[in-house]
Amino acid sequence: MLEMTIHDKSCRGCRFCLDVCPTDCFVFNEETQKAMVAKVDNCIACLSCTSICPAAAITHRNHHVVANFYRNINFSRRMEKFL
Amino acid sequence: MADAEIIKKRRTLQETMNFLAALSAGIEPILGRGANSMTMSAGRNLGRKFSAHAKTTDDLLEALNEVKRVLIENNCLWGFEPFKPAGQAELVTINAQGSRQILLVFRDCMIRQALFRFGHPQMGSLCNMMYGFFAGSLETIMTKKATLEIKHAGENACLKLLTIES
Ligand code: SF4
Ligand code: SF4
Repeated sequence: MLEMTIHDKSCRGCRFCLDVCPTDCFVFNEETQKAMVAKVDNCIACLSCTSICPAAAITHRNHHVVANFYRNINFSRRMEKFL
Repeated sequence: MADAEIIKKRRTLQETMNFLAALSAGIEPILGRGANSMTMSAGRNLGRKFSAHAKTTDDLLEALNEVKRVLIENNCLWGFEPFKPAGQAELVTINAQGSRQILLVFRDCMIRQALFRFGHPQMGSLCNMMYGFFAGSLETIMTKKATLEIKHAGENACLKLLTIES
């Protein structure tokens, strides 16, 4: 099962994760001024929160990481020249 | 089909997708909304073609399984699964217009990989192709109009809302 944690000491309380999450997984603790995981069952593992968090405070475990095995690096390198 | 053969086919498809991503990023500023119509139409034709021999049904979940089967049969890596948010009673809901709706999470996606490889933004004309594919495929399987709205385009998964018009 998917697990998600926020490293409490790292969180800066910017609320970016609350804004970006499409399924309202977080709540904001007004007392501590930090984000908290509220509904981990709702997490679709889009990893937008992880990408946006300026403190790299959010970690996911046991989630599906998108498959990349079919990427042709040589082709991509060749294409880069034209972009 | 042997694994090596499937990987080779997917690689070719990914190459094509990378190329399409570059093309669509180039035409979007020139064609504007017209680029979306073009990719939507291409996706719809592909959806119709792939689903031509699929089993027809009016059951939404059964139809989605059929779309999944059609994609696998054609070596396309577009994994999706239904999503039920906490607190929502049923997987399939009915909107104010009486149309059936279901949230879908897309994980492995050739389009996303292609866009990220070259730093193109998501939710552009190429993502719209997937809307077209679902519209074409479900039009054939359910004989009803369908829309696929992107609710969220993430780095590792996207959330979309499928609506089957009543
Ligand atoms: S994005 Fe990161 S730093 Fe900002 S509130 Fe969320 S966990 Fe804290
Ligand atoms: S991975 Fe996506 S769905 Fe999960 S908590 Fe982060 S933003 Fe929300």
